[in-house]
Amino acid sequence: MSTHTYKKNEDGDSSILPDKMTVYQECLQACNASPIQAKKCRKLLSRLLRLFYAGETFPTVESTNLFFSISKLFHNDDPALRQIAYLSIKELCSVSNDILMITASIMKDIQSGDAVYKPDAVRTLSRVLDGSTIHAAERLFKNCIVDSNQSISSAALVSSYHLLPVAKDVVKRWSNEVQESITANKTFPSSSYTKHEFNGYSKAPNTTYIHQYHALALIYQFRNSDKMSLIKMIQQLTERKTLTNSLAQVQMIRFVEKLILDDSNFVNSLWPLFVNWLNNKSDMVELEAAKLILNNSSKFNAEQQMHAITTLQSLLGVPRTVTRFAAVRILNKVAIKDAEMVGVCNLELERLISDQSRSISTYAITTLLKTGNAESVDRLVTAISNFMDEISDEFKIIVIDAIRTLSLKFPAKYKSMLTFLDDVLRDEGGFNFKNSIIEAIFDIIKFIPESKEIALEMLCEFIEDCEYTELSVRILHLLGNEGPKATNPSTYVRYIYNRVVLENSIVRSSAVIALSKFALIDDKEMNNSIKILLKRSLQDVDDEVRDRAVLSLKLLESKDLAEAKSYLSPQFKYSLPILEQELTKYVKNPDKASFKSSFNIDSIPKMSEEEYMAVQYKEKLIGAINDDLTDSKSDNKGTDSSSNEDVKELDNISDITKYTLLQQQYQNELSALPEIGEYGALLHSSASVELTEKETEFVVSAIKHVFEKHIVIEYSIENTLEDILLENVNVVSTIDSEEYTEEFTLPIEKLSPLSKGKVYSSFIRPEDDSEKYLLTTFNNTLAYISKDADAEDDEEGFPDEYQIEDLSLTPGDFVIPSYISNFTNVWDELSNEESAVYNLGDEDSIDLQQVVSKLIVTMSMMPIEGTEVVISGKNHSLKLFGKSISGGKLAAIVKFASSSKGVMMKNVVKGEEPELVELVANYLE
Amino acid sequence: MSFNTSLYSIDAILILDNQQNRIFTKYYKAPHENAESDLITNIKKQKQFEKDLFKKTFKQNTDIILFDHHTVVYKEYSDSVIYVIGGLNENEVLLYNVLQGLTGAFEIILNSQLDKRSMLESYDMLVIAIDETVDDGIILETDPSAIAARVTNPPTEDAVNIKIDLSEKGLLSAFNFAKKNISERLQQGF
Repeated sequence: MSTHTYKKNEDGDSSILPDKMTVYQECLQACNASPIQAKKCRKLLSRLLRLFYAGETFPTVESTNLFFSISKLFHNDDPALRQIAYLSIKELCSVSNDILMITASIMKDIQSGDAVYKPDAVRTLSRVLDGSTIHAAERLFKNCIVDSNQSISSAALVSSYHLLPVAKDVVKRWSNEVQESITANKTFPSSSYTKHEFNGYSKAPNTTYIHQYHALALIYQFRNSDKMSLIKMIQQLTERKTLTNSLAQVQMIRFVEKLILDDSNFVNSLWPLFVNWLNNKSDMVELEAAKLILNNSSKFNAEQQMHAITTLQSLLGVPRTVTRFAAVRILNKVAIKDAEMVGVCNLELERLISDQSRSISTYAITTLLKTGNAESVDRLVTAISNFMDEISDEFKIIVIDAIRTLSLKFPAKYKSMLTFLDDVLRDEGGFNFKNSIIEAIFDIIKFIPESKEIALEMLCEFIEDCEYTELSVRILHLLGNEGPKATNPSTYVRYIYNRVVLENSIVRSSAVIALSKFALIDDKEMNNSIKILLKRSLQDVDDEVRDRAVLSLKLLESKDLAEAKSYLSPQFKYSLPILEQELTKYVKNPDKASFKSSFNIDSIPKMSEEEYMAVQYKEKLIGAINDDLTDSKSDNKGTDSSSNEDVKELDNISDITKYTLLQQQYQNELSALPEIGEYGALLHSSASVELTEKETEFVVSAIKHVFEKHIVIEYSIENTLEDILLENVNVVSTIDSEEYTEEFTLPIEKLSPLSKGKVYSSFIRPEDDSEKYLLTTFNNTLAYISKDADAEDDEEGFPDEYQIEDLSLTPGDFVIPSYISNFTNVWDELSNEESAVYNLGDEDSIDLQQVVSKLIVTMSMMPIEGTEVVISGKNHSLKLFGKSISGGKLAAIVKFASSSKGVMMKNVVKGEEPELVELVANYLE
Repeated sequence: MSFNTSLYSIDAILILDNQQNRIFTKYYKAPHENAESDLITNIKKQKQFEKDLFKKTFKQNTDIILFDHHTVVYKEYSDSVIYVIGGLNENEVLLYNVLQGLTGAFEIILNSQLDKRSMLESYDMLVIAIDETVDDGIILETDPSAIAARVTNPPTEDAVNIKIDLSEKGLLSAFNFAKKNISERLQQGF
């Protein structure tokens, strides 16, 4: 029967999967038949595999049955059958029971089978074995690794690699053989079973050296913990140019990157290697090396980076799409950090705008937009509009995003940008596409005031036939806010009222609110006409629309216009993350009584319009940088995964919100302690300071909390020992200056193994006002009673001490980071000035970005105008602002300049309180 | 971000037809470790992934896209698409070399007829070729000829002879054949 059913299946529609049960039965039958019919079995197994690779699975019992039936095929010696049998067994291994039974047959094959299926046997063996059974096959593996047949050797190396997670120490014993195989010459013997017609292809080469790739990766696994032996290996292998396989070279580059990340001193000694790699005959190697250099740009000097750029530049012109794509992708990333450097490739990039691959042209454009200067912007925008019709929505979104950042960068060019956006807004497109355009226009309106009228006009036109409710609502809201401030508000009223007449209820209700905002401006005639319009909405079919109309009318007709104003267009915005946190806290309060009093909205910090905008602007700019750095958004190409977005949002909430959230958390924690609760409001908390190395037995960090009259130090102590229990843990501090007096400490009674606890110690601040900001140092010792973790309760431990580092009170502890929008004005107004100059040392040895980040933390001030991102790499000026705990303003400009003597840093501080200004200027670690 | 220093560099190999039916799909994971992402174990997710990927790539005439945290290189044929999928930071050319190795090997073993029908007809050789190119995520070989040289042709010994005997030589030869067979088996002690 079986031969007939084959025919039927083969003639029918080939996309229909063979029936699962039929295949199962036939396989069992054919495998158990005697004599075994090799051709038929191979055909059947290929159908079984077809099922597997279409995603079908068998239950364990059936899988095990199949597994054992197939193992019977080992009675037949046909290599063609054996090869597919191994493949089937490999696929069945993970779902079957008792797979160990087959070990002996496989090992017999490896010892004396035909060379054609030996590699398959080796690879199957690694699936059958586990950590306890690997010993039996040790000798076999060793022999195979050194086998002169490249396929066998490769298979054995790869199998060893697969076995690493279960038997690392066993595999490690083969390291001599692995080492030997890197340099050994291996060949492919040809087999009579694998004759093919090589139409258009050359016959199989003698060797492809790919075993080097496998062996190299395996050796790295043995040695990656030992830096010295790794370096030795790299030197040995590169000196004699033994690595001929490109994959192996790519692998080598990755190892070198790991080394350099650990210790950038290797860069210079290894540089000749890079030169080699950057001029390699394989573009794979060239790309990998360039990627390494440009990803870790801080470790390489400008000349070295230029070398990599030049390599990429030449790769931009190769015929292979994938290579061009990879090259332009790297350049695009570099352009974010250092647009100038990519500038040399502009000519090539412009040619790529018309590349037939849209991903390449999009990357080229966004790169160009980043490297572009004010003069070339117009030309670029025209070039882009020419091909906007041809690309898909996702690419359009990327382009729009780039345009948005560009218009913020060159505010003067808003006209051509808006024309461009207006054009694309008229095009067909999905929601995401339109949304990104609207976002861009919103941003332009917000940050480039001159553009407002034209842009609002555009938006009005757009909502006339906008199919997306959400967009209409947002635009109406914006019109409500911005329209009344425009020179001729009445024009907008017409557009908005059209919405009230023509749209669905959601749009209608937001249009009603927008309308009512126009009634607030000082124009009798307008007020009256709007009231008439609103009255019409009182008859609306939707209750929300009616409600809003009633509310608006009520407010407008009340005498108190100021109150109406505060309801209809409030001057303040609440900080939403904090509002959310407080509300959750309120709702989750276990104490039922607390619900008697209503939620106190005043506890939420308010931001004025201006502050809010400034913060947003900053988030936008930084957000854009973050996005590009993490490479997530642009690489997603609009396939928005929601989780990704969430993470980004968290990242993007401004520093100031993060700071406030953290302060609130501290305040809550501290006020829960009765002794500290009565100190009043927490003025400032420092960032956490490490007092020990991270790998020690006890990991201690400290946070300094400043109160009106006290300073509380919160020590977080982690017991990293597994078998020691600590009791009565305390921190004994002695203070340098007598003005601070210790009040009390709250020790930890019991600190179990691998747990964390907190010790608080409280000090009274100097009473004398002139010593308000007195700096001092706390010499700390950790005191405790240690016990065995499994000791009896009544057993006495022994007291011990543990030295931890000193903690200093720094000027930053008295400074609260805060935000201002007009730094320059404030800077000019502040009177007390103090400055200090430092030499940071050799240019190559410091990473300016790191210095800047550290400064921000130690000075505890807020970076202004996005100056926390070091752009040029050599010269930078950092602007900081903060307030003292008593409310005095404090501003600082830190300038970095590199000279022949090294990088110089000049710290100029101005502020309202002279003693603090002096301290901040002169105190640096 | 940093480079992947492990040998596991291929996340999946897919061959879909022009109706995005599966001809071959294999999502790789290290044999002795647990799956890291849902995509490897959850067939629903896989199908969704394939559907979205197919939509993005079909008739787009590019060789590479970045898709859902993966770098995907692919090649389209008249009625099928072959995808090689790796991590987002994987070397694009490395993946492309794997794809070229595969397609080249297919061309050799299928006599340059890369359509769905011949793929399914020689499915045994097709899957062996893939298995000889990538072993659970590790690249074994990227040279087309070398891969093809590892693929055995189907056996020539055939069961078809039996059928011809029965139909063309009549009952007597069938009887003789059966007698011979039975006595053989008896001798083997079966």
